[in-house]
Amino acid sequence: MSETISYLLMAWSDPNLLLLTALGTFAGIYIGAIPGLSVTMAVSILVSFTFSWEVNSALALIVGIYIGGVYGGSRSAILLNIPGAPSSVATAFDGYPLAKLGEAGRAIGLSTVMSVIGGLAGTLVLASAAPVIGDMALKFAPRDYFLIAALGLLLVGSLAEGSLAKGVFAAALGTVIGLVGMDPVTAQGRFTLGQVELMGGIHYVVVMIGLFGVAEAFYQLHSLDVPAVRQQVTKIIPSVAMVLKFLPLSLRTAVIGVLVGALPGVGGDIAALMAYDHAKRTVKKPSRPFGQGAYEGLVAPETANSAAVGGAYVPMLTLGIPGDAVTAVIIGALVIHGLNPGPMLMVESPHIFWFTVGNLALANIFLLVFGLMGIKLFAKLVELPKAMLIPLILVLCVVGTYSINSSMTEVYWMLGFGLFGYFLKVFGFQMGPVILGVILGPMMDNSWRQAMASVGDNPVELLGELLSNPVSLILTVGITLILLGKTPVSGWLKKKCKCTPVTH
Amino acid sequence: MLKKLLVGLTLAASAAGFSLAAHAAYPERSIQAVIPWGAGGATDNVMRSLTPYVEKELGGKVILNNRPGGTAVIGTSYVLGQQPNGYTLLLGAENPQLYPVLGLAKFDYSALYPINLIGQNVAVIAVHADSPWNSMADLMAAAKANPGSLRMGGAGAGALPSTVHAMISAVDQLDVREVTFGGDGPGITALMGQHIDFMPLSLAAAKELIRTGKLKALAVVSTEEIPELPGVEPISKTLPAIADYLPWGPFWGVWVHKDTPDDVKQKLTAAYAKAVATPEFQAFLKNYGAKSLNLSGDEASQFLNRWQSVTTWSMYKAKAIDIAPDSVGIAKP
Repeated sequence: MSETISYLLMAWSDPNLLLLTALGTFAGIYIGAIPGLSVTMAVSILVSFTFSWEVNSALALIVGIYIGGVYGGSRSAILLNIPGAPSSVATAFDGYPLAKLGEAGRAIGLSTVMSVIGGLAGTLVLASAAPVIGDMALKFAPRDYFLIAALGLLLVGSLAEGSLAKGVFAAALGTVIGLVGMDPVTAQGRFTLGQVELMGGIHYVVVMIGLFGVAEAFYQLHSLDVPAVRQQVTKIIPSVAMVLKFLPLSLRTAVIGVLVGALPGVGGDIAALMAYDHAKRTVKKPSRPFGQGAYEGLVAPETANSAAVGGAYVPMLTLGIPGDAVTAVIIGALVIHGLNPGPMLMVESPHIFWFTVGNLALANIFLLVFGLMGIKLFAKLVELPKAMLIPLILVLCVVGTYSINSSMTEVYWMLGFGLFGYFLKVFGFQMGPVILGVILGPMMDNSWRQAMASVGDNPVELLGELLSNPVSLILTVGITLILLGKTPVSGWLKKKCKCTPVTH
Repeated sequence: MLKKLLVGLTLAASAAGFSLAAHAAYPERSIQAVIPWGAGGATDNVMRSLTPYVEKELGGKVILNNRPGGTAVIGTSYVLGQQPNGYTLLLGAENPQLYPVLGLAKFDYSALYPINLIGQNVAVIAVHADSPWNSMADLMAAAKANPGSLRMGGAGAGALPSTVHAMISAVDQLDVREVTFGGDGPGITALMGQHIDFMPLSLAAAKELIRTGKLKALAVVSTEEIPELPGVEPISKTLPAIADYLPWGPFWGVWVHKDTPDDVKQKLTAAYAKAVATPEFQAFLKNYGAKSLNLSGDEASQFLNRWQSVTTWSMYKAKAIDIAPDSVGIAKP
């Protein structure tokens, strides 16, 4: 027991580790804020960089970057409508409208506090229930991943402002973009036009930067003569009353974040979108309508994507299976440092587990400090004259895209998507559903084919599994209810329920 | 005009002199090394462990750059398209040897020069802990009793599971449903969750889970027992005919453009040979469940040819590929 506590406090008491965690968190915020520079990339560079270090020092820096980076994506999402990472796509839905209302500072303050709450909740779950959740994550079969992806695609209903038809079209378009590249089963090219560059598909961050960043920059050309909104920079730190008011929502979405994050192969991006959808369904009286600067629309995804970090560590530390791309690289780092990440890690190197837990908590404390620092300066970014802001956005987009795979082809694609996204915007299409399709399309494709191959391409057998397996059944019923809830059937059912007592 | 010409000539001459000098002092700037697989994968882990020792031997920086996608086609074609000056290395795995027969690309490793074949992994047939089978014979019997109903985890055309499956099919019958995952990791997850019945895996990926009893190894794809998995039978015990294709396993190596100057090739070969031989890296390979090869030059080319011939012909025999290996210039083993 006393050993556990000493591992837990290792990062808190060693000045070296303390400094490295702080440094990582600080750097992470800015790496995360620049679209294209990703936590995965930063961590994989660090693995080489910290090769000769002690494993604890390397892990401290990595944990800091991870926590800071996931949060940092919200900065650019709120200020510029460009999510710094796919996990911040949902943050932009209400974050950017808040900045347009002159509340960028308050939005950043609120998102910081909520990220920390989510991060700490995720860490707590990791510390207290990791083995249980790790085993639970294994229960999800390919068909369940398919159902989760399908559930995710239903979010189009919440994301499509105005016209559902346009939303469905945008999501379908995104799905097709996501399918470009080699077929995962047969290795044949799909929609590649015979180009080697397209064999690996179109990276979803490329699409995201184009649609959000460049399209936004072009769109701002429409309002060159409109003066920028003055930002209120007082009261940026949310009051205790405000935090308490959103705490129930925050805790609910933290649970979504941890659970989705713990599923191998599903990460913060999907968790955040699901949390946003959850907020939209359950909050009856938001502070403002969703999509127009509702605080709830900011709280939900920010809590969920930070909570997903703790979730992603669950399968990594208990089973040696990565929960997402970042934990995959961390597993590599452990291997390189001569450790054996696997089910025995917690027994043979217990310090790694408790050190990580303590370090995650520490990084979240630093996040609170660094996140609330310098907000005034950042909020002023929105007040920059357009002549400076637009070129700045474009440069950031190009640099960020090039850094993903050092590929100029991807930069051209990104610019192409930017131009295309501009016209989509002009004609009233939403960007959210496109990204949703790009992320979830390939997941649906893969898991559907896995599910069908598992039952020998027999749909009846698949249907049987959907109804007999508890996990699948819950998901199936959930999807059915959501679908029916949007049709006249639900009104009819409600009426019938109300009428029945009367007739008796 | 004359002045311009003179300036041009002087510049050209100095550039030529400069590049000659550069050869003498290779590497005079940092070397870019392309890993055609994603961060955190097996190839990435091996290369990130090896590179610091190579840097020490070369006395220069090696910048690692992941260019994943298309079963490594993208990263490999990128290296083929660069200047043959030794400043772009390819740190890859076995896959390009299968491109011609899979129709993925026109080239294979004969388009590049092998600097070093670092190490080789061995494959194991793994099942989940609660599986009723305890040997390869049990699995084969179960597959024959219910043809086409066992679920085998795969990782796509040309990946390890489908190759091992092809070898087994080439000598016996193993009619199963192949469920394709995005790699070892997702496949192992599904195997532990009992959503598939068995999966051929690399020892590196499965070692820890077998050691801890989360997975069970039915057989090692080799002709004799291996020290890392004592008590696990070699696959040739149940399927003696498979011995023709063994030893077999995925491997990792370092390549440069074919037209790279010889002195650069030699310098790189010497540096990598020494780096792979360092006790620290050897210890890493051992812990990772891999066998050291450390081959270069003709030995490396022979190894590559044999591997390609054995693998493609077994795949063709098992009807896993449609393109005949000899039609793309691959001789029978």
